[in-house]
Formats: sequence, structure tokens, C-alpha cells
Amino acid sequence: MSTPAVEPVFEPMVGRYLTVNILGQACRIYTEEAGSGIPLVCLHTAGADARQFRHLLCDEAVTSRYRVIAFDMPWHGKSYPPVGWEQSEYKLTTELYVETIRAFCAAMALERPVVMGCSIGGRIVLQLAHAHGDEFRALIGLESADHQQPWYDTTWLHRGDVHGGEVCAALVSGLVAPQSPQEYRHETLWQYMQGGPGIFKGDLYFYRVDSDLRGKLGGIDTRRCPLYLMTGEYDFSCMPEDTLRTAKTIPGAKVTVMEEVGHFPMSENPAQFRKYLLPVLDEIFKAAA
Amino acid sequence: MSNGNDGDQAAQERMLAGRLRQAIETTFARDSDLLRRGWMVDTCCLIEIGSERLLLTIRSGRPAIADRIPLLVSWEFAIRAGADAWSALWQPVPKAGWHDLFALTKRGAMHIEGRLQPFMANLQYFKDLVTLPRAGGPR
Repeated sequence: MSTPAVEPVFEPMVGRYLTVNILGQACRIYTEEAGSGIPLVCLHTAGADARQFRHLLCDEAVTSRYRVIAFDMPWHGKSYPPVGWEQSEYKLTTELYVETIRAFCAAMALERPVVMGCSIGGRIVLQLAHAHGDEFRALIGLESADHQQPWYDTTWLHRGDVHGGEVCAALVSGLVAPQSPQEYRHETLWQYMQGGPGIFKGDLYFYRVDSDLRGKLGGIDTRRCPLYLMTGEYDFSCMPEDTLRTAKTIPGAKVTVMEEVGHFPMSENPAQFRKYLLPVLDEIFKAAA
Repeated sequence: MSNGNDGDQAAQERMLAGRLRQAIETTFARDSDLLRRGWMVDTCCLIEIGSERLLLTIRSGRPAIADRIPLLVSWEFAIRAGADAWSALWQPVPKAGWHDLFALTKRGAMHIEGRLQPFMANLQYFKDLVTLPRAGGPR
């Protein structure tokens, strides 16, 4: 066997599988992590997977203080659907989403983690803040709002005469800001091309049908669990005004509108995103010290 | 009878229609990637820029704009917007909310209507095709 000419350069994250019981179903979940310190659990967008956080997992300014953990939701990425999946249609509900996150955090024995979610992940952190705020050190909603106006018919996402992966990617391509580097634009879209049939649509059941949180977010205590909402100016799905409207109903919620960023800040333009994220993580870290 | 503003508007619409026609005739010819991705596209659609109407026929991914629209012509779907929307979409770095076909439809500045299966089955192709006039190309 010949010796490689160049030493391999490994990235710092490691991946492994664990089985988590979620609402009575055993789910084999793939998770990646890097760093040590305060647990920071990252939730990917609808129809995608945890690869969206690969840049964050390699960012020493974050991993020096945070144990960054990103997992693929069941049915996504390298996490299989639960046994018997072939006999049902995938539909994410608010209850299933909340219990997936809580069961994962419990299985990983995480003590009051920070949870940061994007899009559907940004919506669910609002529900976490409302119903389970004591379990979390802080919550960060990216592209987060209590509701937003739909902008297309989701039946296009899963039908025999349209390629699901290609139409999913093409639909969300406009949610990437024009300034984002081409490499990361297309990496973000590639994930959408790789989603399972009907999975993006099933995630959007939660987004469109089962999680209108308008008027339902009372009782959030941002002194106990700080809430940060960060939205890209080019996101026309969850628009900055949606986030600002939501924040007005939650005393103490802090809003940042990110310039030259769209719906996928962590994967479409990681350099631009970290300019906005690092001060938030600094604040959470100092509060924990 | 038209006033000066109507004349300016009509001139702008004609200018934008000319930009799209030129981009499809010249820029597309240099874009082998778009032709590769669109090899299965066979359809006919209508593009409206205000009162300017362009009949776009695509055969095996190769687009052509008719010199004039015949009477009683059939097309499968239409993309309609005013000069302001097309002009904003084609800026080198478009403004937020004016940067994508669906950003425009969501805000009511564009309408995409008709039998949409050919459009949705080749969505990125069509997005890129009608954004060819943007300086620097589609993103």
C-alpha cells in the first residue's frame, strides 16, 4: 500500500448514531458534534438536514465555549424513518417536533442546553419558550415567526410528474440572498435535492397547518430563558416584519435583522452569519459564567 | 389618447421586452449549462411586461421569441408583471423582496398562471431563463 502524499486534514466534528424513543417509537438518529462547554443544539430547516451547520461545527470561536450538536431529524439526512414508515404519510406536528427535541436532549443528557433552530426550527423554539422554557438556557430562532403567509401550493412538492428534489431546491433557491457565495448557495440547494419523497411537504404540515402560534405565546419568561430572533433581510418566506411582529408580543425578545442573508444563514453565508451570531453567543456565555 | 407618462411607461416596457429578447437570443446561446438542464423542456408560454407581450416557445430546451404573436395562439402558462417588477428583478444586486419570481408573486407584483406543470417541473430552468437579462446572470 502506498503512503498518501499529503496528510489528511480532518474537520473537528464527529458523528454517531443513537436510538431515541419519541412518542413511543424507536428512532435511530444521526448526530454530529464538536467542541465543549455549553450545549448548543442546532435544528435544521424543513426538508434539509444537519449538514447546514457544518460551518458552525468547525468554528473555533464557537466550539471553544460551546458543545455544538446538530442532529438529523427522523426521516431526514442519515436518520431513517421509524420502522413501518412505508405504511404512512410523513406529517410533522407541533407535538411530535417538541417531543423529538426534548427526547433527543434527554437521551444526550444535556443540562439546560441552548437550542438554535432555523425556519421550522425557528418556529418550534417559540413553542419551546412558551411551554418548556425552564428546560433551556437560551433559545435562538433563525428565520423565526409565529406565523407567515404561505407563498406556494405544497402539493407541487410531491407528485409523480414533477421531480421532488429538483422542485424543492428550485422553490427555495430564491430564499438564498443574491450576495451569498455560489459554492454555499448550491450546497444549500443540494440538500433539498436529496430529501426523501414528501418529506419537505410533511415538514411544512407543521409550518403551514399545525403551528399558527399567533396569540398563543403568552407566559414566555425571557429573564429565565433569553430569546433571540435573527432573520435575514432576503427571506421573503419568513420576512423580517414577521419576526418583528412576533417579537412585539414577547417582552424581552431580542431581534436582529441580518443584512445580505436569506432563509439559510448558517449554510448560505456562514461568514456573514457569524458576524451576527457571535455577539449573541457571547451574551449567553457571559450570562452563564 | 395618451399623455407623456403613458408614453414613458410604454417606452420602458418596450425597452425591457427588448432586453429579454436579446438575452434569450444572445446570452442563452452562450449558456450551455441552461441548455443541458432544459433538454426535456417543450412548451409555449406568454411573458408580459406591462402591455408588452412576448410569446416564448421552447423546443428541447432551446427558447425562441416569436417576432409577433399570431391570432388565436395557444400557450400553456403566462408570467405577468409590470415594468417595475421586471426591472427590479434584473438589477445586478436586486433589492430584498424583488429578487426572485416567488418574492414577486408573494408581494402581488407578478402573476404566474395557466397550466403550471411544465413550469414547475423545470422550475430552476425557467427562473434562470427569465432572469438572463440580469447583469452577471441569474443566481
